[in-house]
Amino acid sequence: MTIEFRDVHASYDENIPILKGVSFTVNDGEFVAFVGTNGAGKSTTMRLMNGLLKPESGEVLVDGVPTTQLKTSELARRVGFLFQNPDSQICCNSVREELLFGFRALGALDEEAERRVDDIIAEFNFNPNDDPFLLNRGTRQLLALASTIVVAPPVIVLDEPTTGLDFRECVKVMDIIRHLHEQGTTVIMVCHDMEVVADFAERVIVMSDGRAVDQGPTFEVLRNRHTLRQASLVPPQIVDISLGLSLMRPDLGSSLVACANTLNEMEAAVAAAAGRPEAARSKPTYATTAPGAEDAFEEGGVR
Amino acid sequence: MKGFLEYVPGDSLLHRLNPVVKLIGAILFAVACFCTSNLVFLACMLALALAMSASCGMLRATTGLMKAVFVFSLLLAIIQILFTPSGNVLVQLPWGYIGTGSLLAALTTVIRLEAAAIPLFLTFYVTKISDMTNAAVKVLHVPYKYAFTFSSTVHFIPVFLNDMSNIMEAQTARGVEFDQGSILKKIGLMVPLCVPLLVSSVRKTNSAAIAAEVRGFNLRTRESGYKQYPFAARDFLALGLVVALLVCAICLSVLL
Repeated sequence: MTIEFRDVHASYDENIPILKGVSFTVNDGEFVAFVGTNGAGKSTTMRLMNGLLKPESGEVLVDGVPTTQLKTSELARRVGFLFQNPDSQICCNSVREELLFGFRALGALDEEAERRVDDIIAEFNFNPNDDPFLLNRGTRQLLALASTIVVAPPVIVLDEPTTGLDFRECVKVMDIIRHLHEQGTTVIMVCHDMEVVADFAERVIVMSDGRAVDQGPTFEVLRNRHTLRQASLVPPQIVDISLGLSLMRPDLGSSLVACANTLNEMEAAVAAAAGRPEAARSKPTYATTAPGAEDAFEEGGVR
Repeated sequence: MKGFLEYVPGDSLLHRLNPVVKLIGAILFAVACFCTSNLVFLACMLALALAMSASCGMLRATTGLMKAVFVFSLLLAIIQILFTPSGNVLVQLPWGYIGTGSLLAALTTVIRLEAAAIPLFLTFYVTKISDMTNAAVKVLHVPYKYAFTFSSTVHFIPVFLNDMSNIMEAQTARGVEFDQGSILKKIGLMVPLCVPLLVSSVRKTNSAAIAAEVRGFNLRTRESGYKQYPFAARDFLALGLVVALLVCAICLSVLL
């Protein structure tokens, strides 16, 4: 399932434009991260994808159908949405009821749904009778994620899924998301943590002042200091180290990226051997050189 | 509903009035509307309320408010028409009749509620809630605890409305059909969402209470606030006008 933005303008108040002509395409099975400062228009872009907000002009196409022609509740079957605050999503008295709620809302509650809920409960190690409101923040976030993915939407949109989580919870959430992606789900994520973006996303779209100022493979975009500075972003340490080494020892800088590629290839081979070809497919390959990146690095200076 | 009862900055006469005068004036204005059933007087009060709203550039917000009040007052008016027969018979009903008096009374109810509500709501749009609280403590000698309770209640209304809106959006994104069907169906769908709203409200209130406590809430006295709220000539004039309206309303109800 593809999501396409064609010169989209959007706002909440007609006098204050939020998106000023955004165009991009997210292809089936991709893992795309949106980065940018607060107020850049990332969350607005996410809300446009599942019809919570309709574009003022331009088009948002979900599988070729404009969202203006679909109700948000209909789009919910195709695009799952994880909100930043899990408390907006959680509304039932037990974990099990919460997980069944999505099926009820979509009118798809049957034996298969019950079985799937049981599987998710086991996978996430939930107690089905727990009161969701009494769980800690991290577990509530996990429950919100579980109740989004339990209905198996082909696209999942995550608005800052790791906010407020400790490192262990963050890793757990991201592992689950990576696993979903390996199974073929298209993942679109807003994230402020550049390390998480560098580790998980295949492609990055940089947003600044309501525009998509850059997009491309993760490492290529994160090496472009000019764009990152324009969006007031700081690249993750791995990119700095790689570029720093490229400057001092070009052979080492390239070797670091080559190592990352080798590791990915090894992981892909293991996944393929384990009968998970989709996981093998999802591993990115990074270019060892990026034209102009070294210049940009020198321009930015070593931190 | 975003911005509901939230202060809108400005420099109009109403903005510059003393907060206490605005609060007392709005209450007296509402009382005057309830003192008489004279339709002409109530229509004048409604016109005056709209003029006040226009003078501070809040006509758009007032129109929205009037729509909401109209729905509520219409319900009362329908009950009045159907169950309080008076005047000449217009339509015979199995349990009574609809009369000319019932229609007039219903019309009075609608205009009265509209006229009384506007200044009360307008007060919040043209006064900072902190000024209203501080002035009540300084000038009216209201204990700070009660003034703070009042201001917190008002402050939390838009916060909770925003929370409800977020919760409804989140559930719509999960497939709950808030975006289609009748109003009754939507109300039915909203009932279960009261749970997360209640939970988030209690959490927010608890956090606010703890935050106030650690910042020395109980140490605060009338002297703690540095800002003074002196009365100017315009304040006395405004108060005089509202008192005159109240006297007029009382006279009309006694004489007619």
